Amino acid sequence: MELLVPLILIGVGFFVGRHFEAKHYASIRDREKKTLHVPMMNFGAKQDLPYAHDAQLFVGSVVVANDYFKTISAGLRNLVGGRVVVYESLVDRGRREALLRMKEEAIEWGASQIVNVRFETSSIGGKSRDQGLSAVEIMAYGTAIR
Amino acid sequence: MKFVPKEITKEVNVTPVHPLVNLAYLLGTVTLAGIVIYVVLGLIASQLVKRIGIETEEQIGASLVNSLPNRIDTGDSRLEYLQDLTSSLQDNLSQTEIAVVEYPPVKISILDMPEENAMVTAGSHLMVTEGLLDQVESENELAFVLAHELGHLHNRDPLDALGRSLVLMTVSGLLGVGQGPNSVLVPNVLNLTEQGHSRTQETMADEYAIALMMARYDHGGHSLDFFRRLQSEEFDLGVLSPVAEWQQTHPLTDNRIERLESIAEASDWPLTGNPTSLPEGIECANFEAPC
Repeated sequence: MELLVPLILIGVGFFVGRHFEAKHYASIRDREKKTLHVPMMNFGAKQDLPYAHDAQLFVGSVVVANDYFKTISAGLRNLVGGRVVVYESLVDRGRREALLRMKEEAIEWGASQIVNVRFETSSIGGKSRDQGLSAVEIMAYGTAIR
Repeated sequence: MKFVPKEITKEVNVTPVHPLVNLAYLLGTVTLAGIVIYVVLGLIASQLVKRIGIETEEQIGASLVNSLPNRIDTGDSRLEYLQDLTSSLQDNLSQTEIAVVEYPPVKISILDMPEENAMVTAGSHLMVTEGLLDQVESENELAFVLAHELGHLHNRDPLDALGRSLVLMTVSGLLGVGQGPNSVLVPNVLNLTEQGHSRTQETMADEYAIALMMARYDHGGHSLDFFRRLQSEEFDLGVLSPVAEWQQTHPLTDNRIERLESIAEASDWPLTGNPTSLPEGIECANFEAPC
């Protein structure tokens, strides 16, 4: 029983997690295509910003948690070191989703372009590694102009 | 400059490795480490068994046993009976083909707990529980359990276990195994190898016990009755039972009985015979029934 329960959890984590990840990636790619027409660009401190009538800050944020399979894989990875492959897709999804949320809102407002886009990432919970929520919050913000 | 939207189709931020391949690689590493630890443990334990003196073993044993609660080691006439029974089993060792191994003299005590169990520890402290004395129905059953424990002493299993757990604790402490998200998987993998080792020891102790029973009683009748009763209480898992067994320190009762029966058959030992009765009031202190 001691081993069966984690094994079942890992199995559930793997299949459910993979299913949702595939679904999420499909949605991300689709929405990225739809919002491609609005450019996002960064300007340096001494560069002139493009001329605009209106400017507004938009924030998109997302909190993603890992599934049990990812937790175990990453935990094992901790013993030997190296690329935590399972977390790469997790963080990648988070970044793109946050960016999309920000961009979609800006487009709705009528943005012609978004300037100076920034990312912030912070981990939520998981202070003691054994228990508690282990998730990251990813926030993307930028100035939309029209 | 005109903005021309260009779609990025390449995934640069995700390594194209299947997560299961990744996990298999990681598990392989852990298993390999587990095997190495297992072998090293075996080597260290066997060295310990060879090098530890009888006196040191007695001291370790005494300190282990003295911390046990509800232990009766004096002032109960049942202890003398159990001691006599054990000695009579040991006296018959010469009739078997088993080589004599030196170990400290057996010291018997009774543990006041309801579970049916018997155990030995370093320093040849043999303990039986009140629950066991309450449940046994013939001397043969009790003698088989005692002989099984003598088998552990003969194979020096308590010292082996002591050495292994000592090293295992040190290693897992150093590696920090058992902390963090690995606490569900890594200790379990180590446990599986340890329990596999423990089951081998149990089987060997069983083999020793049946040979000793044969020498003492000239038949193996009723010796396995205790296990048969346990078996009837055990939940049958069907095809899943091998999985269940991997996680046990003892082989499943079913397999134990089967194995012992096949040994008896191969050696032409009869498994039938009249039981020797137990003294009255074995379940009560000083045989003073009712209690």
